[in-house]
Amino acid sequence: MRNLIIFFRRYFNFFLFLLLEVICIAFVFRNNNYQRTVYINSSNNIGGQLYTWNNGIQYYFHLRSTNDSLVKENARLHNELLSAFNTVDTGFLLKADTLRKFSNDTMHRVIGSEVRRYRWLEAKVINNSITREINYLTINRGSKYGIRPNMGVVGPSGVVGVVRNVSENYATVISLLSKTAAFGFSARLQSSREMGTVVWDGKDGAHAIMKDVPKSAKIKAGDTVVTSGYSQLFPENIHIGYIESFSLSDKSSTAYTIKLRLATNFSNVQYVYAIDNLLKDEQAKLEDSTYKQIK
Amino acid sequence: MSVLFKNIIRFVLLLMLQVLVLNQVLIHQLVNPYIYMLFILLLPFNLPRPAVQLLGLLLGLTLDMFMDTMGLHAAACVFIAYLRPFILNVLSPQGGFEVTQKTPSITSMGTSQFAIYVSILVLLHNIVYFLLEVFGFANPFYLLLKMLASTAASLVLILIYELLFFARK
Repeated sequence: MRNLIIFFRRYFNFFLFLLLEVICIAFVFRNNNYQRTVYINSSNNIGGQLYTWNNGIQYYFHLRSTNDSLVKENARLHNELLSAFNTVDTGFLLKADTLRKFSNDTMHRVIGSEVRRYRWLEAKVINNSITREINYLTINRGSKYGIRPNMGVVGPSGVVGVVRNVSENYATVISLLSKTAAFGFSARLQSSREMGTVVWDGKDGAHAIMKDVPKSAKIKAGDTVVTSGYSQLFPENIHIGYIESFSLSDKSSTAYTIKLRLATNFSNVQYVYAIDNLLKDEQAKLEDSTYKQIK
Repeated sequence: MSVLFKNIIRFVLLLMLQVLVLNQVLIHQLVNPYIYMLFILLLPFNLPRPAVQLLGLLLGLTLDMFMDTMGLHAAACVFIAYLRPFILNVLSPQGGFEVTQKTPSITSMGTSQFAIYVSILVLLHNIVYFLLEVFGFANPFYLLLKMLASTAASLVLILIYELLFFARK
């Protein structure tokens, strides 16, 4: 016991150092989303590999029962083929939308019967960074004003980012200039309507990369890239950037890598709009329930 | 002016310089100029080692608070605070530095010694910081370039600081 105490006293500095480093790293992982995601992913790779091996071995022992069940399934599907039935045309029943749009004054008149989808909330940027790997903006509107996490944020000339955290009077926005694994913007080419994803490569604040545009797409430098409207965060046709150059990363790849000049000048963005998608919950609920049914 | 008072002023001054000026300046995507860690480098020789480390933690966490990077700068600061006595030991002449000069400086250590001391610790700080920030080796050359470029920028800033506050004794 005495020796143990002497040992601790002698290496007290080193243990203190370890303790403090562990505290710091714990802070990093608790509070910084990016590091956490990367850590969890890399640990998943190892676990996933193990399960793949395990499954590869187990699979052999179940070949016979797998075959049986597949034959049964084939028989069932054959019975359900269209040719096994007399087709009957059932027709459709269409119903008009009954939601109404009201005027804002005391009269509360009905203006139209379309459903309002987006509400735009203006805000001023009070802090901004563009030099880091993950960049944030702070805006001077918070939950009091109706800002909520995961609202899209656009500037006067194009997309800016997504709201991350909200306090009573302020909100932080993850800028488009964020080099994170899971952070991409659903985008499309305005002219040919080809889909793709816009990410930032961390190199400089005026350019970004558009990925996943198929080789078959017709592209030319100067084309406009806009939001697709599929992400529920942004309405469609908001400018993201303009094509500067494009290339195939190698001959066998099936998708272009496109370099964009960003529409928003992030070094001097002053006023932005947070976009409230009023029908987001409804859409998400519907999509979730569909996904569950398929699964 | 007492040493304690001087260090408190230096702490506040360097942090304000870092947060209000240097973090707002965009030189290049590769260059993040840092000067705040000079506070740790210029702490008195005879300060106990645990105290240096705790001051490093305090400095790092304060900057993290301003930059929304919880723990990143603190980890780098604690690291160089821990290694500081070893580097000083290696660089010190036989019998230690003169006791009349209480803090590391060009006059107390000699120009070349001081330059080596500062460069090594600044480089170590940047290595730890950028490794934690980028958190991966996907692009090692870019990472290395970023570390070296940022270190060079920091050293230039520290040189300017030393020229401004050079005490001839």
